[in-house]
Amino acid sequence: MSRWLGAAVVVVLLAAVPIWFEAFWLQTGLFAMAAIIAAIGLSILVGIAGQLSLAHAFFVAIGAYGYAYLADRIPPLLALVAAVLLAGVAGALFSPIAGRVRGIYLGLASLGLVFLGQHIFQNATGITGGYRGVAVPPFSLFGFEFTGADGLVVLGVPYGPLEKLWYLGLVLVALSLWYGHNLVRSRPGRALATVRDSEVAAATNGIDVVRYKAAAFTVSSMYAGLGGVLMALAFGRIVPESFGLLLSIDFLVMVVIGGAGSVGGAAAGAVFVTALPLILNHYSGSLPLLAEPGSGGVGAAEFSRLLYGAAIVAVLLFARDGLAGLVHRKERVV
Amino acid sequence: MNQFVTLFVGGLFLGAIYSLVALGFVTVFKATHVINFAQGSVLLLGAYVIARAHESVGFALAVALGVLAAAVASVLIDAVLIRRIRRADLGTLAILTLGVDILLATELSRRIGTDVLNIGAPWGSDVTEVAGIRVATSRVLAGGVAAVLVAGFWLAFKFTDFGIAMRSAAEDGEVASLMGIRLNRVAATAWALAGALAAIGGLFLTSFPAAGVTGSVGLLALATIPAVVLGGFDSPGGAVLGGLIIGVVSVLTAGYQEELSFLGRGLGGVAPFAVMLLVLLVRPSGLFGTREVTRV
Amino acid sequence: MHDLRVSYAGAVKALRGVSLSVPEGSVVAVLGNNGAGKSTLLRALSGTLPASGGAITGGTIELRGKALPRDDAASIARSGLVQVPEGRRVFANLTVEENLRAGGLAAPDRAKRAEARAWVDELFPILRERATQRAGLLSGGEQQMLAIGRALMASPQVLLLDEPSLGLAPKIVERVGEVIREINARGVTVVLVEQNAAMALAVADHAVVLEVGEVALRGTAEELAESEAVRERYLGVSTQAAATGTRVESSAQPLAVEALSVRFGGLAALSDVSFTVEPGSLHALIGPNGAGKSTCLNVLSGVYAASAGSVRYGSHELTRLRPHRIAALGVARTFQNIALSPRVSVLDNLLVARHRLMRSGFLADGLKLPRARRERAEHEARVREIAELLGLTELERPVGTLSYGTRKRVELARALCAEPELLLLDEPVAGMVRDESAAMADAISRARAELGISVLLVEHDMTFVMGMADRVTVLDFGKRIADGTPATVQRDPDVLKAYLGAAA
Repeated sequence: MSRWLGAAVVVVLLAAVPIWFEAFWLQTGLFAMAAIIAAIGLSILVGIAGQLSLAHAFFVAIGAYGYAYLADRIPPLLALVAAVLLAGVAGALFSPIAGRVRGIYLGLASLGLVFLGQHIFQNATGITGGYRGVAVPPFSLFGFEFTGADGLVVLGVPYGPLEKLWYLGLVLVALSLWYGHNLVRSRPGRALATVRDSEVAAATNGIDVVRYKAAAFTVSSMYAGLGGVLMALAFGRIVPESFGLLLSIDFLVMVVIGGAGSVGGAAAGAVFVTALPLILNHYSGSLPLLAEPGSGGVGAAEFSRLLYGAAIVAVLLFARDGLAGLVHRKERVV
Repeated sequence: MNQFVTLFVGGLFLGAIYSLVALGFVTVFKATHVINFAQGSVLLLGAYVIARAHESVGFALAVALGVLAAAVASVLIDAVLIRRIRRADLGTLAILTLGVDILLATELSRRIGTDVLNIGAPWGSDVTEVAGIRVATSRVLAGGVAAVLVAGFWLAFKFTDFGIAMRSAAEDGEVASLMGIRLNRVAATAWALAGALAAIGGLFLTSFPAAGVTGSVGLLALATIPAVVLGGFDSPGGAVLGGLIIGVVSVLTAGYQEELSFLGRGLGGVAPFAVMLLVLLVRPSGLFGTREVTRV
Repeated sequence: MHDLRVSYAGAVKALRGVSLSVPEGSVVAVLGNNGAGKSTLLRALSGTLPASGGAITGGTIELRGKALPRDDAASIARSGLVQVPEGRRVFANLTVEENLRAGGLAAPDRAKRAEARAWVDELFPILRERATQRAGLLSGGEQQMLAIGRALMASPQVLLLDEPSLGLAPKIVERVGEVIREINARGVTVVLVEQNAAMALAVADHAVVLEVGEVALRGTAEELAESEAVRERYLGVSTQAAATGTRVESSAQPLAVEALSVRFGGLAALSDVSFTVEPGSLHALIGPNGAGKSTCLNVLSGVYAASAGSVRYGSHELTRLRPHRIAALGVARTFQNIALSPRVSVLDNLLVARHRLMRSGFLADGLKLPRARRERAEHEARVREIAELLGLTELERPVGTLSYGTRKRVELARALCAEPELLLLDEPVAGMVRDESAAMADAISRARAELGISVLLVEHDMTFVMGMADRVTVLDFGKRIADGTPATVQRDPDVLKAYLGAAA
């Protein structure tokens, strides 16, 4: 009973955020939500299925560009669904490589996909607008526009695009967490974990290893696609640069910091990695430690990079199960 | 035809530099089973030290300092961090080096800022004519240095006590230690060599025709990843060949940009990765990598 | 060495207070079955325990009154205690010459190195002939000579030999015995770990028999060679009358292995092996280490590809199927070294076996549809039943936190949860105490009777199978050397030779 009460309080608090907080926090929150969704997907792929991927940014980009392109042509809700499916198809298409190539070779092969993606997004100017980017059509749901055009005011706060997107983000994050939790504890989740721990044992238990590896890539890419759609909506305009190797590494770091294989951990890692630089940057003026950009000292951007690098090293050396491991102190496993 | 030969030769010279960096990668992998993503920032460190030092101590000493700094940094990564979790899986170790790379690269690019530091090579922007083909002198030198170093490596691996220890450790670390081979020393040596190779690679990658040392030079080491994967992670010969292939592929695709314009602009940078993906489809462990037996 | 205790990862106790003193200049044999702790003992001596996740938790090890470091293999080797590892483990990609050089790296000085080199040439002329060849191309016997030669290059005071007769033909085993005597004659102390009791007792002065981490017997080699206890341990001669012939009603189909051969590179792991597992029977596949038993099991379950021959289960040709297809036919297996997911709960590990029987997928499960929940509940109920049959409780605990013996039982339970018609068991009692293995035998028999399945049991330990198998096939060097009822196989001269060596 108290669990439900707690959940209800959290929901109410999250729902009230747009009323109290200014645009910067909403923007930061939306980026974090987009990252959470995509990171859950990568956590399933890396942590549960044991497949190292540096290609996540590519699939995020497919979702983002897919939505931007389709939402001009079909209703945005359909465009969202289609973009997610498109990312899933892209993941499935990569699976011949994912199924054949193992471990670290897979990680590095997937790196190739990011570079290939960058090349395509830069050059397919008809769809992506090339390096200048493309505007993302606003979301709308059954005629309700996610823009500021209707002049909606709640409790004296004008509800513009960010405020409305906030709720879309909350719903998508909740669905993603719920699906992820269910999946991990189910037949496919067990199959993936067995593939991770021993492909031979998985196969002799009747699990089609190649198919499940492909499925893991597909599901993880669909998560990435959904995260991409939300990210595109939050940005309003997307450029290829945003979906490069650095983003892929960011996702991997979110998963590692959160604790690979933990859905909740991935979410926590995503908030840490996404929000930290934005918040540090926001307050760089008032934090005495940090120098102004270009003055030669340690600026906010650099400080957050350093913190982030140090976090990776610290987590791997001292807390291998990540944030999730710190919360649930489990019995030591051989 | 003439253009093709010019590009091909130019590609080989560029590839020679990649080969050096890739050789460092493979050496570390063979000795300690670590995919060292920090190789890029170690390369940047080497180049940075050379660029900062050459005005006060002269070019030759600056190179020595740069190589030393990179080697020491590399050994420290192994001794201070990797060694603590030596038996962790490949992915964990790789991500650990990624964290180190972020730390080192962030600090170095902060120091460099938006400057382009001159590497201070005495050959500057000279151009040499080799059999009627005009190539940047620095690239010719790079080719020569690479040839000497690769030959030196090969001889050392083949004939010295160190080489025997290294290869034994790479093949079966436990048995090597039973034979009295000190694995930590072998590891340190391998990391030091990789750091030194990265610094030398950095020197040539930032020499003419490149502009100089910038904060993003570390990313250049990424181009050696397709080289290493192509060759197969545990094959030094494969790394050298992979480096050459990648050099040739990227220079050729850049050179024939106009003819290949239907594939989009900036093909030179992405072609190595495309080649890598294609090779992996056919040979999942690269051209010369060791394969596994089971089928599932 | 005094009161040595070793445990792995804090959970598995591999040695429980073993004391052993090896007089200088003697040959001491350490005997025992798989899992008795022999390898652990050597690992403790040579400082390689940490590499396999083990640690010395008590006791001392001294060489000539000086304590040895615990986890620095290289300095132990350099101080004169050098080990020849089990399975030769020569550096396959290095030449013979380079292998010997690698061994010489631990030698105290150049003169010693040259001296050792001359000795090795004298002991093993064949290595000189093959000096420039890659070690991986040598025959098994030559590789063993090379492994010994490599260790001698370090000029050891004490030489540890781990199963030097493993997988070698009797003639070569004899030669290895001679070599050990020659090495000892030069003043090198030898500790010989062996399963081949006859060979070991023939060359040793003293011997100890380890059993589940403790010294069960000790004495001079002659005493032990005469001992009934040793004979019983190795041949199961005096175990209780076999309760065979209890074939159960079964829906299984016959498994027919015909002329099966497997080659790895140039090495023949199995050649021309045939046998048939009758429906409902318990068929044992036994043989010394390296005989090809596990290879055979891996082919039956589709993990390895056959080079020639056929395996038919009913009307299905298994050699052409991938492992998950074979599993779908109702063929389940266990693994000798336990292939469970350590971080996952017992229940979820067991549910993995239900994979082929369940239908829900990414959609139904992810959205928690009612039919997925219903299916899960039904299968969980059945899994709990099977767990109870095997006496497993605490199903929520991660498998990695359980004791070794319990994990072995979970491994068996998982295979049973697949509702197999044919069960392939790979050394189910390796490393178990006698009580535990009796309980395991009981569990296997009970499961067979209640579930009506055929069982193919791969086992090293002959005594274990004698009491329960309907039929026994014996492999040695990848060939079938005997096939029949336990009683006939037990008296077969070839089998005696394979187990006790040429002298038997």
